[in-house]
Amino acid sequence: MLARIDSAALAGLEGSAVTVEADVVAAAPAFSIVGLPDAAVQESRERVRAAIVNSGFEFPSRRITVNLAPADLRKEGPSFDLPIALAFLLATKQVEAGGSAHGSLAAVGELGLDGVLRSVPGVLAIAESLRRRGLRGVLLPSANAAEASLVRGLEVYAVDNLRQAVRQMACGGEGALAPADVGALLAAVNSGGPDFTDVRGQEHVKRALEIAVAGAHNVLMSGPPGSGKTMLARRLPTIMPELTVDEAISVTRVHSVAGLLLPDAPLVTRRPFRSPHHTISSPGLIGGGSSPRPGEVSLAHLGVLFLDEFPEFRLAALEGLRQPLEEGEVTISRRLTSVTYPARLMLVAAMNPCPCGYRGDRERECVCPAHRLRQYASRLSGPLMDRIDLHLDVPRLNPQVRHAARTPESSATIRARVAQARARQLARAGATGALANAHLDAPSLRRVCRLDAECTALLDRAYDRLRLSARACDRVVKVAQTIADLDGAPSISPAHLAESLSYRQRGTAHGE
Amino acid sequence: MNARQNLGRRAEQAAVEHFERAGWRVLGRNVRIGRGEIDIIMRRGSTLVFAEVKARATTVCGSPEDAVDARKRRQVARLAELWLTVHPRALEHIEDVRFDVVAVDASCVPLRIRHLPAAFTRDL
Repeated sequence: MLARIDSAALAGLEGSAVTVEADVVAAAPAFSIVGLPDAAVQESRERVRAAIVNSGFEFPSRRITVNLAPADLRKEGPSFDLPIALAFLLATKQVEAGGSAHGSLAAVGELGLDGVLRSVPGVLAIAESLRRRGLRGVLLPSANAAEASLVRGLEVYAVDNLRQAVRQMACGGEGALAPADVGALLAAVNSGGPDFTDVRGQEHVKRALEIAVAGAHNVLMSGPPGSGKTMLARRLPTIMPELTVDEAISVTRVHSVAGLLLPDAPLVTRRPFRSPHHTISSPGLIGGGSSPRPGEVSLAHLGVLFLDEFPEFRLAALEGLRQPLEEGEVTISRRLTSVTYPARLMLVAAMNPCPCGYRGDRERECVCPAHRLRQYASRLSGPLMDRIDLHLDVPRLNPQVRHAARTPESSATIRARVAQARARQLARAGATGALANAHLDAPSLRRVCRLDAECTALLDRAYDRLRLSARACDRVVKVAQTIADLDGAPSISPAHLAESLSYRQRGTAHGE
Repeated sequence: MNARQNLGRRAEQAAVEHFERAGWRVLGRNVRIGRGEIDIIMRRGSTLVFAEVKARATTVCGSPEDAVDARKRRQVARLAELWLTVHPRALEHIEDVRFDVVAVDASCVPLRIRHLPAAFTRDL
């Protein structure tokens, strides 16, 4: 007797169709799973056997063959436990699928030995793929159900254990979860926590960070220890525009695949802020592993990737940043698979100006020998530094200066200006699909950001004097455009361009 | 026939009598297939059983069923497959096929018989 249940496997960020077939015949008893299963799927036999018996069903002594089709796709993880158990129960006629006139129900979930259902990663992507295949609905562990209900047009049934799943199967599904209202979830976000009012002084740095956020440009802050680099960086999410519905779904998809979603928070409602330690490995930062997983650059998608002690990161990890910074995505290729994860992040790096930390400080002397300085600077390659739009000095402030500073603006005030600037960018970019100026590709940049004769002449002079690369020129124009957007100006003026140029890398600026 | 073989015979005889009383029809005893042997093949209703009988004179060295190790299980399963290939009609009206272990404790009189249905499967 043969039975089928639809399910799905994860391939990168995409759900891929898998049909679980179970064939049960009278022959020497055996339980085998075929269809390129990995070790966790092989172990599914033991979990399924125990879950079936402990849920009060029969596990007859027959030859059971489970096939996971298509047979050439590698199947990983325990998420096939539930469809295997259900296909087996259908094949042994211990349950009959009800309501099949309306189309069948798919199933995904890990089983415990007592039949309890455990959550699995990547449910959002899986649910989206099931809907694309035109399936009516899906049975899911309760812990994952809220996440799947973000997908419209798919009935989601939350089940706690195998018995409940069987009941839902028999009646064709009852009491589907109401589809989640993503807009309402996003509106309910309370903005608490740190605020830019906490940072006194450093007005020029705040101005530059506002520009960076408004256009999603990359920033490198350089300053002595304790000058407030980390404090400033941590407050960046509070001035970033709120996530749109599509953005929230896109971020949630990545976090779901990485298994970082909490059951009580099925939607990521805030922009990610990732600050990995500088000892992180290259696969940890960029993504990878023999069965690829998203790295920090992808977990920071549409948010901030904060790399403190920038030159201390491994060289391989730093250089690996180049592709995601340029293309907004990262492709990981392995012998059998190649997956692409989104990585449209804003890089915020922080470093000390030298190993001792006090080079250029007004009061303390730098004690670094010259060769250490060279060594330190050489860890950051030209191509990488070229991709950083704003180079900022964050000086140490003495207490008098800090107390004299006027009351700082709140994050909400800054965010309002940023939001206006972003709105202008979106309206202008139109069909290019760029969410911010930094995401414009070269052709759309030429079309969207027009320079008048005066600006062109200024840029040409800067190109020669500052020895800018072609890429740097494009980036200077993008930052200038963002400054114009913050200004509410219709086009880039020489003043905007000049401010943008002032943020370019210092070493190059002096022609060293 | 040495003492150990004698013990095996007595255990098998006791097991067969036990199963026949319980309504099983024994299809074969000590069925030789190639170099191997299946102790008992029997059916009742829609169930077909290949049984391995294991006897122990004392329980000092562990219980009898522990002596049916992975190698022995693989052997029984392989022999059963062969036997089913040679006797395809044996599967008519059969739904369940099982590998059972019959543990016989020969340290007392009468022999104590413990039946372990579906003790193992072909995939271990």
